[in-house]
Amino acid sequence: MTKRNTFTAVAWVFCFLGAASLPFLTSRYQISLLTEIIIFALYGVTYNLLLGYGGMLSFGHAMFFGIGAYTAGILLTSVTGTPFWAIVVCAFIITALAGFLVGSLLLKVKGTPFALLTLAFNSLFFAIAFKWYAVTGGDDGLSIQRPNIDLGFWTLDTSNVSTFYYITLIVLSASILACWYFTRTAMGQTVLLMRENENRMQFIGYNTAVSRLILFTFTACFAGLAGAFYTLHFRFVSVDAISVGMTTTVLLLTFIGGTGHFAGPLIGSAFYIYLQDYLSEYTDRWPFFMGLIFIVMVMYAPGGVSGIIVSGGKWLQERFRSPKREIEGT
Amino acid sequence: MSLLAVKQVYKDFNGLEVLTGVNLDVREKGRHAIIGPNGAGKTTLFNIISGKFKASRGYIEFKDNNIGALSPHARNRLGMCRSFQITNVFHNLSVFVNVQAGVRCACGLRYNLFKRPENMAEVNRRTEAILEKIGLHDVRDIPAGELSYGQQRALEIGITLSTDPELILMDEPTAGMTREETAQAIHHIDVATAGRTLLIIEHDMNVIFSLADTISVLHHGTILASDTPEAIRSDQRVKDAYLGEDE
Repeated sequence: MTKRNTFTAVAWVFCFLGAASLPFLTSRYQISLLTEIIIFALYGVTYNLLLGYGGMLSFGHAMFFGIGAYTAGILLTSVTGTPFWAIVVCAFIITALAGFLVGSLLLKVKGTPFALLTLAFNSLFFAIAFKWYAVTGGDDGLSIQRPNIDLGFWTLDTSNVSTFYYITLIVLSASILACWYFTRTAMGQTVLLMRENENRMQFIGYNTAVSRLILFTFTACFAGLAGAFYTLHFRFVSVDAISVGMTTTVLLLTFIGGTGHFAGPLIGSAFYIYLQDYLSEYTDRWPFFMGLIFIVMVMYAPGGVSGIIVSGGKWLQERFRSPKREIEGT
Repeated sequence: MSLLAVKQVYKDFNGLEVLTGVNLDVREKGRHAIIGPNGAGKTTLFNIISGKFKASRGYIEFKDNNIGALSPHARNRLGMCRSFQITNVFHNLSVFVNVQAGVRCACGLRYNLFKRPENMAEVNRRTEAILEKIGLHDVRDIPAGELSYGQQRALEIGITLSTDPELILMDEPTAGMTREETAQAIHHIDVATAGRTLLIIEHDMNVIFSLADTISVLHHGTILASDTPEAIRSDQRVKDAYLGEDE
């Protein structure tokens, strides 16, 4: 077990180092795509905490992504000289509050009513963003300039693609790591109990309302952080960021990556962004093909890409082990 | 001194009266059994005591607190824990995690965002001890759903013990077991609940008469008689209402 853990840790460190060395190896366009992948990876990881770990199907995760995105957009357009760190912190806190508020209204509902109510809340926030033109810019959206980061002795020029990529990589990797740690804590274990048998939990002393609220708030604030980076990355935020379409995006990429494994959404995000980039070169109708892939995945590979990798690995293990077993048996 | 007192509890489901004025007194450290024909309302009574349903009327007092309005988790934290007639475990999680969940809860580590379960020495020591008691130590890493029926019933008891309750409510712990399995399960229950208060629903008369020191007979939603096993055995009303029906 510890051997396996060490292996996993080493693999992650290599992934991180590999990602860190990429700006030296590829084009600016690729770096920009990678930045987007990291942003959507965090968004997907938070969604998977709800869906894969907690067993809660939400159709409204974009409201938190969108609130984070608009927090960044509004701060940068209406408050001059907002420092970079303040945007990140504000997005985090405001979406945490939103998550707590919405979550506390949804404590009693489960299953289908829960899914539909999250959809309703998403539409509500979408309507606010769409109609409140003075603040959100409505349909036109908000264009922003990324603030530079002043470290005192050194100013980071965030308009540089590679610099922004590194900032995204460091902040969002740390956030993904925090989400991973969450799954390993006592609370993370409690989330699994919720998925398995919420009814029995109550009879061994768990307040399921508290458990749900903690999970909902936790996933909301990290989704908001991803949203803030989305605005910073595109230097623009519009109602797209808070639309039901953005919920569909996270649902798709999480499903494609697989809900059964923590790394699922990371793979899903890379797969989704690259495929979208590739398909949109040839056709404007890329969502159609994305939809087809989603249908095929749900029907034939419900474990997603990570599920295929895991069962492939098991199959290989069996193949290499079986002769040995036979020898032991004789 | 009575640990649990049920006073004039009524329950009806949309006009269907299941309990019609139940009175029950469970003595501290007692081994109290509830028997009664199918449909007498035994499980409904358990659901009301444990907080799954609210009573339509009446009071439930546990350790001199009126607990009628409390939610199941709050009642559990006061020191009661129940098992289920139909196996109710965490299927895809390991046997160890199934038991650890309750122990963790009793130790106040329910929603901790920093501590990792593998580093909770006291929790894990207590979990191991319970697994040892219910005889599932060898299968601790297997998902609960893959256990045999008998083992799942044992796990059901393990989860019930996991929160270290003073009052243990067992709803037909030997349901669906063979005679040998039943004998073994009863031995487990006897050992595991030593020094605690036990309230048990059971169908098997041999089990009841060997385990319990007090028996209450529930019939048509009320307690017909509450006495020692010997007295119950010779009670004419009980014979008419219940024991006679079996033969």
